[in-house]
Amino acid sequence: MNAPVEAGRFGSGQAVSRIEDPALLRGQGRYTDDVAMPGQLHLAFQRSPHAHAQIVSIDVAAAAAMPGVRAVYTGADLVAAGVQAIPGPGGFARPGGAPAVSAPRRALAHERVRCVGEPVVAVVADSAEAARAAADAVWVDYTELPAVVDPFDAMQPGAPVLCDAAPDNIAAEMRHGNVDATAAAFARAAHTITLDIDNQRLAPSPIEPRCVLAWVDAADGRLNLRLSSQMPTGVRGSVAAALPGLTPEQVRVQVGDVGGGFGMKTGIYPEDIAVAYAARALGQPVKWRAERLEEFLSAVHGRDVISRGELALDADGRVLALRVHGVANVGAYASGTGVAIQVLIGPWVQTSIYDIPCIDFRFTAVMTNTATMGAYRGAGRPEAIYITERLMDAAARRLKLDPAELRRRNMIRPEQMPYKNPMGQTYDSGRFEQILDQGLALADWQGYAARREASQRRGKLRGRGIATFLEWTGGNVFEERVTVNVSADGFIELGSATQAMGQGIATSYAQLAVDVFGVPIDRIRILQGDTDRVNGFGSAGSRSLFTGGSAVSVAATRTIDKARDLAAEALEAPAKDLEYEAGRFKVAGTDLGIGLFELAARQPDAAIQVDSTSSVGGPTWPNGCHICEVELDPDTGEVALAAYASVNDIGRVISPAIVRGQIEGGAVQGIGQALCEHVVYERETGQLQSASFMDYALPHADGFRDFKTAFDTSIPCKTNALGVKGVGELGTIGATPAVVNAVIDALDAAGLGASAERIQMPVTAERVWRALKLREMDASPYRA
Amino acid sequence: MIALSMQINGRAVQVQAETSSLLVEVLRGPLALTGTHVGCDTAQCGACTVLMDGQAVKSCNVLAVQAEGKSITTVEGLAEPGQTHPLQQAFMDCHGLQCGFCTPGMLMTAACLLAKNPQPSEAQIVHALEGNLCRCTGYVNIVSAVKQASVAMAGGAA
Repeated sequence: MNAPVEAGRFGSGQAVSRIEDPALLRGQGRYTDDVAMPGQLHLAFQRSPHAHAQIVSIDVAAAAAMPGVRAVYTGADLVAAGVQAIPGPGGFARPGGAPAVSAPRRALAHERVRCVGEPVVAVVADSAEAARAAADAVWVDYTELPAVVDPFDAMQPGAPVLCDAAPDNIAAEMRHGNVDATAAAFARAAHTITLDIDNQRLAPSPIEPRCVLAWVDAADGRLNLRLSSQMPTGVRGSVAAALPGLTPEQVRVQVGDVGGGFGMKTGIYPEDIAVAYAARALGQPVKWRAERLEEFLSAVHGRDVISRGELALDADGRVLALRVHGVANVGAYASGTGVAIQVLIGPWVQTSIYDIPCIDFRFTAVMTNTATMGAYRGAGRPEAIYITERLMDAAARRLKLDPAELRRRNMIRPEQMPYKNPMGQTYDSGRFEQILDQGLALADWQGYAARREASQRRGKLRGRGIATFLEWTGGNVFEERVTVNVSADGFIELGSATQAMGQGIATSYAQLAVDVFGVPIDRIRILQGDTDRVNGFGSAGSRSLFTGGSAVSVAATRTIDKARDLAAEALEAPAKDLEYEAGRFKVAGTDLGIGLFELAARQPDAAIQVDSTSSVGGPTWPNGCHICEVELDPDTGEVALAAYASVNDIGRVISPAIVRGQIEGGAVQGIGQALCEHVVYERETGQLQSASFMDYALPHADGFRDFKTAFDTSIPCKTNALGVKGVGELGTIGATPAVVNAVIDALDAAGLGASAERIQMPVTAERVWRALKLREMDASPYRA
Repeated sequence: MIALSMQINGRAVQVQAETSSLLVEVLRGPLALTGTHVGCDTAQCGACTVLMDGQAVKSCNVLAVQAEGKSITTVEGLAEPGQTHPLQQAFMDCHGLQCGFCTPGMLMTAACLLAKNPQPSEAQIVHALEGNLCRCTGYVNIVSAVKQASVAMAGGAA
């Protein structure tokens, strides 16, 4: 078989088997907990049983005397040793302009605990069982303090205060837009819509719990960390900053297989620092693997913002202005990520694909006695888009317009590209009406009445919901470094600081490399997850393919350019006369040539090496039209998805099977928010009531799977040479409003009218049953 | 510590374990079979599923002593050495895994199903997988993969 044809079967645009799969399917993955070091010790935490308390005293004597125990550490020990707290929300401001604040988030709580599950004592022992038993034997004397878990309660005068510098518990606040112009638009509007919306707190819940293994290399004294992380370089810097006497160069972070990330594994955790500290102090490898309970208690949560959204429209349904006040619960310790997501990143897309001339946004980040908030798939964009899409549906209901038509009237038109939205964000490309039309066709929008009647005949209440939307991707870090090593043994290794976490990025990179090198895909190896090899921002915000992938493509091309010069020397021919095809340079019009790997063998290190750094021009703006139909059971309130169609613009598609998996798997997470997932703290005590997979309802296999998923690849991104747009979060963002709008449509048709818009997520069978049978709707979660 | 004898992936194995040891701890620890994963504390996620005398069990919910004299199959022993099991092939073909962490449990649960019911309906597949959580795929391609494997194992074209 002809070599280039063979190789091309594995290039971009082809549905290839993932290169990750064979090892994972044979049980040969290398997740952190699969790695054991000789002499490895185990660490266990005792965690706070209280939501808010003063630590009076800690008695470790009994624990320290237990068999197998090597060390017991308290927060006071770590403070005395000079261990630093994790930095708070720098760069933001409180109302009035003072810097944003947080109480210090420490590896182990010192003097005070501020949420249930906060690590208080760390015990290191010979076995995990011994460590756990000894951690339970530590006696901590607490004086309980009043706790607050609701952000509106927390802002009331006299509420428990988490951080002295913020007596109102407001960590940060941002205002965007024009208050007066928006007020004027509302004053002259033909219609105004107000919705109070709870984007409830979620647990990201990758199935692999966090795990950290730390050791000091006996040869060079450097601290080594192996952990499950999306951002190894960031973890390296944070560990070096937290532990005394360490520079980043003295720390090596390695990441093997990652069992799901979803944003939850993007930054340093207190536990990481405690494990690293113990390994240095004891001079032996130390491992901690989180139990699922610990994940619910102390891994970051996502969402949790209560908003009042208001829309002003003219008589024709053109939006005149959008006003949003969001109150975000950022947890006990405000983190930079947790704050930025709610006060800045979400607002960037709040006006979405609509040409809205006027905005007035206020976003308030409030600290409460709950787990720290961080990134979860979409991170701010799902919250913002959910609010906007709920408002668009409510407006269509008020104006008695088809919800697709109301959206169409407000969409940014292709000729407006590049379009700068009121938050100053510039969309490079997008044909939103074209996507809408395809979505309506795929969902058979016109044929809905017949399906609704069919449902009715079966005693079910059918509803239909639509979401048309876009999202921002990227982390606003556009530069990526890629190392290339073409070795004499016939392999091309590409190193990237972006991080695989199950999304199949190694396969996509390999496909891009095949495009340039023209060699079979099994000749390509992707190196990630080692800060001694490549450093960079890491993987978050759907940035890997458009930044990292673009950098892979550039690096591969630069490698061919360098190799061409080497081939010219080897063949004693002018470089301009050389043609490259399928792993071989040939002098044009002759049989004279040399293979790429043979060429590598002739080099001093038996390799051709390129260290390439390149940038893309900006973020990408993937967008879509997601349409969902649901059936409600009027007797039980149960919500069943009946149909789901989506048309997605992610620009050019590199790996068709992978992007479909991202959209559909992502949509199931969005459906989880719509229908079942909810982190619940008891309001009086601050105890976590959803602390296992028995109480926190993840979607199971019996949920909806019959997705119709399409891609419009005719609208390439203009800010990267590949023309790709991020895909990782799109499905999650679109699904939540599409599903809830469908439920509200069904409730409206069942006689609830616009009062159906008061239902909140998760739309459980109980909520729907109460709405249908008792006409009982949720009280507004928003308090002015 | 007590000495236990069992068949693991077709080989007779002697292993020392505490009476309180869970089967998954023995598999992942002294036996170094790390393909079997631990994802929760409450037997909900199913990442630790193995076959015990042909029955899918959650090895985080089985004491090691309960496996005495039993035949255990883990994901490492799903296929004959050097071979690819039709389920493994189907998961690859259908993109039935993303991060891969839940995958060993999915494979072993599905293997148990197909051994007992070689031609399951979609409803029966979904029911069998009810105790296995996946956060990445939305189960779409997992169910497709089990279907494909059932066809392949029956000798038909997938």
